Amino acid sequence: MQTLLILLAFSLLSAAVEAHEMTPTHPKFEVSHVEGVYKARLAMFNKRKDVEYYEIGVFDEKWEPVPFVSAYKVMRMPYLSHVQFDIYVSAMDSTIAEYVCSVSKLRENSDKKPLVATRICSRFK
Amino acid sequence: MKKFLILALMTGAVMAEEVPIVGNVQSKCIINTDKAGVYGNPTADKLSTAPADGGVLPIVRYDVSLAGAYTAKVTTPTSFSASPSLNDTVTWTGSTEVHEVSDAAMSDYEANKVTYDATTEYDLHTAGTTWFKMSSTAEYGYGKSFPGGTYRAVVVAECIAN
Repeated sequence: MQTLLILLAFSLLSAAVEAHEMTPTHPKFEVSHVEGVYKARLAMFNKRKDVEYYEIGVFDEKWEPVPFVSAYKVMRMPYLSHVQFDIYVSAMDSTIAEYVCSVSKLRENSDKKPLVATRICSRFK
Repeated sequence: MKKFLILALMTGAVMAEEVPIVGNVQSKCIINTDKAGVYGNPTADKLSTAPADGGVLPIVRYDVSLAGAYTAKVTTPTSFSASPSLNDTVTWTGSTEVHEVSDAAMSDYEANKVTYDATTEYDLHTAGTTWFKMSSTAEYGYGKSFPGGTYRAVVVAECIAN
C-alpha cells in the first residue's frame, strides 16, 4: 500500500512540471560593440517537455513588429535548458521597442501533441 | 599517537574547500501547463472539453514573483490547428475562469477580468500563483457529424509585463 502511495505521489509530481520562463521583466538597452546599435540581454528556461523551440519577437506599443537581430529568431531549447540571448536593435528602433516576447512553437508532428501555447513578454522601461 | 592525530586534523583542514552556490532571485512570470485539455465527443456534431461531455479542461498555472508587474491573457481556440477536411462552418465557444489562487488578495481576479472575442485578461496585482481553467466547445454545421479523424486546437496563455 505504501509503495503504491509513493508511486502515485511520484506520478502526480512528474505530471505537474511543464513551464516556460523568461527574465528579466524589464530589460534595458545598453550600447553594443556596433555604433548606433543597442542590445538587451534576456534569459530563458524551458521546463516544457512538449516544446523544443521558442520564437523571439520585438514589438512596439501597438504590437507592430520592430526589426531586430539575434543569433536565432527561433531557438532550439531542449527540456530543462537555460539560454541567454542578446537582441540587437538600431538606436532609432530602440526608442519605439516596447515588448520582447518568446512564444512556444508547437509541432504538429510531435508525439506529445501539446495543446497550450505559452507566450511571455518582457517590457522595456 | 597524539601528534599523528593533530597532523591528520591539520591535513583535513588544509584540504577543505569552499564551494559557493550562488542564487539570484529576480521578478519573473512562469507559465505552467498543469493539465493538457482533451476534447470529448458527446454527440456527433460536438467536441467539448467539459467533463460532463467526456472532456478534460486544460489548466494553466501562472507564477508571478512581483506584484502588479504582469497581465495574464488567455485565448481559447477559434479554429482547429489540425483536423480532417471540413466543408461546413464550425461554431466555437470558449471561456476562461480562475480555478484556484494562492493568496486571498487574488479573490477579485475573476470579478475584474476583461473579456473580448476569445481572449480573457487578468491583472495579476498580487505576487503568487493563479490557476486558470479553460473550456472550449466546437459545433459543426447545423447538427452535422464531424468527420472521423484527429482534431486539435490550441489555447494561448500569455504573460505580458506591464
